[in-house]
Amino acid sequence: METRKPARKRETEDRRQEGLTSGVEGFNDRARRAIADEQLHDSVELFTHKSVAGRNAVLDALPEAPELRERAYRIKQETMANLDRYLEQMAGAVEARGGNVFFATDGEDVVRYIGDLARNRDAKVITKSKSMATEEIELNRRLEEDYADLDLEIVETDLGEWIAQLAGDTPSHIVGPILHMNRERITEVLSRTAGEELPPDVEALGSFARKRLREKFLTADIGITGANFGVAETGTVATVTNEGNARLVTSVPPVHVVVMGIEKLVPRFEDLSVFVRLLARSGTGQKLTVYTNFITGPRQTGELDGAEEFHLILMDNGRSKLLGTEFEEALYCIRCGACLNVCPVYRQTGGHAYGSTYSGPIGAVITPLLKGNDEAKDLPHASSLCGACWEACPVGIPLHDLLLKLRNQQVEEGLAGKAQEIAFKGFESTMKRPVLYNISSKAGRLAQEPLKKNGSVRPLPGPLSAWTDSREMPPLAGKSFRQLWKEGI
Amino acid sequence: MPARAEFLASIRHRTQAGRYKPTNAPDVAWTREGETPESEPIEDPPARFIEELEALGGHGKRVESQQQAREYVLELATDRDAKLLVRWDVDELEALDVDAPLGEAGVEVVVWRDLTDFREVAGKADIGLSTAAWAIAETGTLVLEGGPGMGRTVTLLPPTYVAVVPVDRILQTVPEAIGKYAGGEGGGLPANVCFHTGPSRSGDIEMSLFVGMHGPGDVHVILVG
Repeated sequence: METRKPARKRETEDRRQEGLTSGVEGFNDRARRAIADEQLHDSVELFTHKSVAGRNAVLDALPEAPELRERAYRIKQETMANLDRYLEQMAGAVEARGGNVFFATDGEDVVRYIGDLARNRDAKVITKSKSMATEEIELNRRLEEDYADLDLEIVETDLGEWIAQLAGDTPSHIVGPILHMNRERITEVLSRTAGEELPPDVEALGSFARKRLREKFLTADIGITGANFGVAETGTVATVTNEGNARLVTSVPPVHVVVMGIEKLVPRFEDLSVFVRLLARSGTGQKLTVYTNFITGPRQTGELDGAEEFHLILMDNGRSKLLGTEFEEALYCIRCGACLNVCPVYRQTGGHAYGSTYSGPIGAVITPLLKGNDEAKDLPHASSLCGACWEACPVGIPLHDLLLKLRNQQVEEGLAGKAQEIAFKGFESTMKRPVLYNISSKAGRLAQEPLKKNGSVRPLPGPLSAWTDSREMPPLAGKSFRQLWKEGI
Repeated sequence: MPARAEFLASIRHRTQAGRYKPTNAPDVAWTREGETPESEPIEDPPARFIEELEALGGHGKRVESQQQAREYVLELATDRDAKLLVRWDVDELEALDVDAPLGEAGVEVVVWRDLTDFREVAGKADIGLSTAAWAIAETGTLVLEGGPGMGRTVTLLPPTYVAVVPVDRILQTVPEAIGKYAGGEGGGLPANVCFHTGPSRSGDIEMSLFVGMHGPGDVHVILVG
């Protein structure tokens, strides 16, 4: 990457309107800008490299890891096949414990429910722990706009999410929301909030955040969390955080609202022993997340803390469309971020290039599925189809396969260009057979020789030029990614 | 049809009418090329618990008697220059009999019962003291149940947190601990169960470790027996 331009000044425009609700077109342009940003590249490199190393070490030390992965896949398969029954069971269990359950078809339903609840409770301050589901529906912005008269103060409490919120930015990674910001930028954002110059060291910045957010935790009227898992059998909602913010958000305010995607269900409490172990290892390289917290309904008689009122919102927002289709496995995702960390595209562009709440391979799959193909048609192409995502996935989602199916769908819908049509017909049949892939990539290494020039490949001839027109096509590497991955990168 | 029934009917329709059945179960990718490491039984669970907890930056100590546990808590309170300690209202901590000595040392003790505003107490305390339902050796985890007398915020708001746990409550593994709550309907579960593993932390700033993010950064577990 010696041709990379010098670091540009970071963008400061408001990016909050880039959930799933707003447009995501334009991956190529955003990716080009991202790749030119040296500081961004360093930040993404630091995060993904450390994350992959941590994950590999802790999974290698777990003898039953392959079996757990298999079980996780089977459990999710069973869950989706009987999702209506498990949803009903979970709702019943929560209600039996005195909680409220609401089925939300889309983000609009969620915004209405929470907005009306805030109005009825005369709420002023809402604390939130990191939730991709609420990012996806741009809950904060919509509550602030649609319920402007309530003058709500909505505070993200995960350190990274809070800093992103203060900066008017969106998370760029499922697990590391502000990995794209370096310490100087973070110091700038927090100093502005503090009204004084803070020293650029982690101790000072963290202590300031602890103090400021502590006030919010203690005065909040409503706490909102997502759910890492929901247990049908018991009505339990599991949240995992290292900071402890989800535990605070659910323990201090009198009202707790959970916004949970319907695919987060697992049938039985014991299934959690499969998923919490895989999630902690795959997401952050830990054996267990510091606060792995299980909430079953509101506080019980005699308890002094914990929410008195418990609301579970089960949100569809396009997910059920995938059931019974060739894309169903995309619903198995537990949002660990492992596929982002290993993805050669994500590692070059970071998360914002995807223009969606969900980035990386899983984002390239579910964004078009949830939003519609024509609005996010670039994303299934933001992949080298190397399959590293699938290998890393703790639930075994065949992400590369789903990306191909999406491209195929685009061809069928007439969304793709002629070149892609030709290319992918061949690519798909090759990718499905590893032996052919190995042979063809070796052949490609030889075939490209006449086209190689200054470290990148010259425009391809004929109908294939559409491919190189929108891409800097690097020559195939001396060693394939599959080979490097086997060698531990 | 009411909204919920309609919602569920639509999902039922999709799962039943859908022709696609996922078949791409995980395969070769996670199959080990080398030798599969053996899952070894943990020989000395209390020692392993302490080892794991300390690797995370927590402090663990095994003591033989209540007397020694009491001394640890007293020393900790003095060392941290504590003014206020809040503790669970449970038999185990009555037996510890630490309230009076703490009082003599100038540390006010508030027991988790009949509080008009729990935030005032837990939010101001320098130390939180509890026991735990279980401890997990392989991860250095405390399993904390919420309930009357067992405040969630006692273990969460004070900057220093100490748990006194009888040694016979140590389990080997996470699945074993989850098994203690599995297999029933929700009726028997406490409203809150928390698997608490080491000090609160964040890596959000350049992946540098910041300890004591929102929960306690100073975590002590005394294993008694």
